[in-house]
Parts: sequence; C-alpha cells; structure tokens
Amino acid sequence: MFEGPVQRLIDELARLPGIGQKSAQRLAFHLLLVEEADARRLAAAIGDMRDQISLCERCFNVAAADECSICLDGRRDQSMVCVVERPQDIIVVERTQEYRGRYHVLGGALSPINGIGPGQLRFEELKSRLEPEGIAELIVATNPTIEGDATAMYMAREFKPLGVRVSRLASGLPVGGDLDYADELTIGRALIGRTEL
Amino acid sequence: MAIRHDQGIVLRSYPFGEADRVVVMLSPNKGKIRTVAKGVRKTKSRFGGRLEPFTHVDLVLYEGRNLDTITQVSVIEPFPKLRTDLDAVIAAGTMVEAADAVAQEEESSMRLFLLLHKGLRSLEAGQRSPDLITSFLLKLADVVGVAPALVDCASCGRVDDLHRFSFAGGGVICDRCRGEGAVRLRSGITEYLAALSTADFMELPGTSDVLAGEAMGIARRFVEYHLDRKLVSLAVME
Ligand SMILES: [Zn+2]
Ligand SMILES: [Zn+2]
Repeated sequence: MFEGPVQRLIDELARLPGIGQKSAQRLAFHLLLVEEADARRLAAAIGDMRDQISLCERCFNVAAADECSICLDGRRDQSMVCVVERPQDIIVVERTQEYRGRYHVLGGALSPINGIGPGQLRFEELKSRLEPEGIAELIVATNPTIEGDATAMYMAREFKPLGVRVSRLASGLPVGGDLDYADELTIGRALIGRTEL
Repeated sequence: MAIRHDQGIVLRSYPFGEADRVVVMLSPNKGKIRTVAKGVRKTKSRFGGRLEPFTHVDLVLYEGRNLDTITQVSVIEPFPKLRTDLDAVIAAGTMVEAADAVAQEEESSMRLFLLLHKGLRSLEAGQRSPDLITSFLLKLADVVGVAPALVDCASCGRVDDLHRFSFAGGGVICDRCRGEGAVRLRSGITEYLAALSTADFMELPGTSDVLAGEAMGIARRFVEYHLDRKLVSLAVME
C-alpha cells in the first residue's frame, strides 16, 4: 500500500483493460515523476473526451455532436450501411477509403457462450433506420470469429425478409501472407469467398 | 520449464494483456487447461483461426509457472460446418458451455472429452434435432455422476406409476414417493428421456415435437439444477 492518492491512482489504472497491478504501479510512479504539466494534460484530455464526445444518436459511432461526422456528411451514400461491432472498427474500414456509405455500431457480437443475445445488441435501432434512410444494403463487417459469424448469420435471417440486401466482408488470406502459413479454416473461407478473375 | 504435447477442444477464450488471449480447452488427459496464445488477436497472427471455439487441436506447450504458452498448434478437426449455421453454433455453444462447467483442471477427462467430441461431430454431420442437446445433457449428467433416474423411482426404485420428476430428488418419482417440488409429467416423456439417455447422436428418436420440447426442458432444468448455474447459450435466442 502506498500513500492514499498514489494508491487511488494505482487502483484506477489497474481497472483499465490489459493493465495489471504491476503496470498500474509503474504508470502511477511515472506520472508522479514527469513534469507536472504532462500529467495535467493527460487528466485534461480524459476530462475533455468525456465532456465533448458522446455516441451518435443514429449509428452509435463516437460523436462530437448529436450525430457523428459521418452521419452528418451529405456526400455519404445513405442507402448502404456497414455494420460493425465497435466504434473502433469504423476507423479501420474508413482507412481503406473504399467505402462511402454510413455505419451502424452494434455494441458487440452475438455470443451464445457468453450469453450475449440479440437483445443486448443494437438490432432494433438498426431496424428503425431502414425505412427513413431508405437503406437497401447492409454490409456486415463483424470479426471473422465464431461470434462475428453468428452475428452475420443472425442478421441475414432477420434482415433479408425485410427486403434488404445483406452481405458480409469476404474473409480469407491476409495480404502479404504466405499460403502455407494459413490455417485450414482461413483457406476454407477464402475458397468460399473466392472471386472470379 | 519443459515442453509438453497435448490435444484439446477449444471451449472459449478471453483477452489477456495487449494482444494475447487465454484459450480454455478440454484435454482428454489433463481436463480443463488454460493456455496463453501470444499475439493471437493480431490479424496476421500465425495461429489464424486455429484457436476458435469448437476446434479440435494438437498442441505443443511451453510449461509456465501459472499458464502454459502455446508454441505450436495444428488442427485435428476444424468442424467448419458448425460455424455456418446459427442453430448449430447455439447447439455447439451449449455443449461447450456445459462441458466447461463440469470439467476440472488437472484431472483426466476422457469420457467428457469423447462426449463433447461426438456431440460436435454429429452437429458437423448435419444432426439438428433438438433431441441432440437433450441427449447430450443427459449423458453429461451421467459422466459427472448425477445421471437422473429414468426407469425406476429415484426414491424407492419402483418401476411403475412414474408420473413425476424431481430435480432435487434426482429423477422420476413414483406416485407414492411424490413430495415437494416434483413436477407432473406428460405421459410418454419418461420413456422418451430414457431412450435419449442412451441413444446414438445420429439415430435420435425424434417422434414428436411436443415430447422433444418438454424433454429438453427437463434435461436442461435438471443439469442447471445440479450445476447450480444457467446454461446461457440456450437462453440466447429465447
Ligand atoms: Zn453516426
Ligand atoms: Zn417411489
């Protein structure tokens, strides 16, 4: 145990994902020993983020207004929605510069093993967007895991009958990877999602 | 520290540190094992999809103080069809969850392993009857030593007038022994459960939807009662 305020910071840091007691101690003492301005800037950045950023009312991306900058962008194709698990995933798709539609953040993936069912994800919110936005296609960009697969299958089952096209990001071989390093599942997937040349 | 070989079916995994996961597996030799897969959360991980749940893998492990680290993994059976059908994912999830709940660490679990392996195999082969889960759960109860009495009264051993089921009492109960908390059964259900408790997964009776539904309800409640926890996989789609 350390002096009250030090221990309090250690305890808070240790609650962050991927940070154990040891790392928390290291970070806390680092912050104690750096320039005071540096430490204060970190504290202010956390405060500002929480004050100024919330979730987009439409797609649940992070937003600095009621809606996020993507939803507010008039040049975006409204008929197409890319469905992702987390807000971080939007940045990954955006970086490709290949996609000009909007997004929808589910807040996770279906996970029978962890007891996460459709009720805990934002499917109803997505359904209520279909008509007003004239959405014709959903591109499911969930992770290529059991949970991501289950989510994509559930979405096909729920949304196709509503007259929406549902597609999934093709999953296959990593660019720059060697074929002989790929596992059976990945190669199997790549075969199913093969494209004609 | 030493290198050791093992095999197992992946039950689940959870994030560990920055890019690693702890992968929980059922090994026929060592029961439930917790292993670290370094860097597996990176897209270019050399483990690829090999450590996804339900996969049967061969392992080379580097023994650590607390957790063993996976140095090599190769797939024995990938069960790919399991992943392409939502009902199969839920059924497999239920099997894995129940096996996870009863498996012990550092304890040989050949029977449990074989049961889970058979269950996943029949899903892979296209078995989608709800009776599969019922049969699996009844056999799982047997493996862990709490098989419900289904052909004679759990209390006195009589073989007739078995019209009730007691979750706490361990199975069917005759009319004379009926006590608190025993539920009345539809006729034919006792025989249905008894048949499922020994049936081959690929040759399930499947005679009636009503019986199948109720049989699963009883098997599920029975297992949940004895595990003292809910099977969340089955609750997911309710
Ligand atoms: Zn938005
Ligand atoms: Zn009796």
